Amino acid sequence: MNRRLRNALKGITGTDIERRRRAMEPFVRATFETFIRFLYRYLGNEVECEDVLEDVYADIWENPDRLRNVDSEKQLVKTVYLYYMRKRLRQVYSRMNRYLSLSQKDMKNLMAPELDVLEMMSESELKQTLRRTLNKLKARERRAIELWMTGFSNRAIANELKTTVGAVKMLIFRTIIKLKQMMRDYADET
Amino acid sequence: MPYTNREIQELLVDYAGALRDGCVPTFLKSLAREEAHRIASSRQFQDAAELTRILNGVGFAEKAVTPNVGLFISRVDANIASRLKKARAPSRRKRRSTAKTVDKMEKRTEKSI
Repeated sequence: MNRRLRNALKGITGTDIERRRRAMEPFVRATFETFIRFLYRYLGNEVECEDVLEDVYADIWENPDRLRNVDSEKQLVKTVYLYYMRKRLRQVYSRMNRYLSLSQKDMKNLMAPELDVLEMMSESELKQTLRRTLNKLKARERRAIELWMTGFSNRAIANELKTTVGAVKMLIFRTIIKLKQMMRDYADET
Repeated sequence: MPYTNREIQELLVDYAGALRDGCVPTFLKSLAREEAHRIASSRQFQDAAELTRILNGVGFAEKAVTPNVGLFISRVDANIASRLKKARAPSRRKRRSTAKTVDKMEKRTEKSI
């Protein structure tokens, strides 16, 4: 953990409320980018991410006890997700629950799940693992995932690969399952 | 009208697309009862959804980083200020109400005297 973040954490875990409020600025500056990227995985919408994160920071200010023993950036992200972000994520989706066919429990599992091995990896570790595993895929599978990650629609991917939309959906689904297994194996090895 | 008989692979690709485009609520609303049940009971879907979230973070999170952190900090500070205000408000009301009851009691005793 860098010095800036360590000092910011020390400030926000103090006992005095006003002091904690003043310490929020350096803490937000040190963590905003990491947190918003992490939250973006679950929401995919920056406006929603900012709204949730605003409440998350206010919750941290109100009750920073969980962050007292944090000693690495990875642990910080994990703790903030489990004790602060997850609660807010569930609130976002539970508001619309009455209009949905998914039960409250299933929606919680889908939208704000427990962290798995891969989700606990840092951004740089994930990028590295993804790069290595993408290289092990078949050319057609890799191309489909790369196009999808570039922002192509299913129809555009189908045109690019000269196949049907249904076949593209099946290909992406199978490749994602395969990629997940390969990434998990790689994570277990390292 | 939404297409209501999607297979698990179609559901995953639609979820991934919704996540990428930032419209997960629309995807959730489009789910029919059988599809929701299919998602809930499919371990494969849960696994694939996890990787989809990771791909979404790695591939698209960069555009989510707001350059104006200063503005965001002021939002957080306003949120904290409003919570502080709320926390202080009931105690003031309480004090005021106890003061009123004391006044009333004093008046009553004065009258009785």
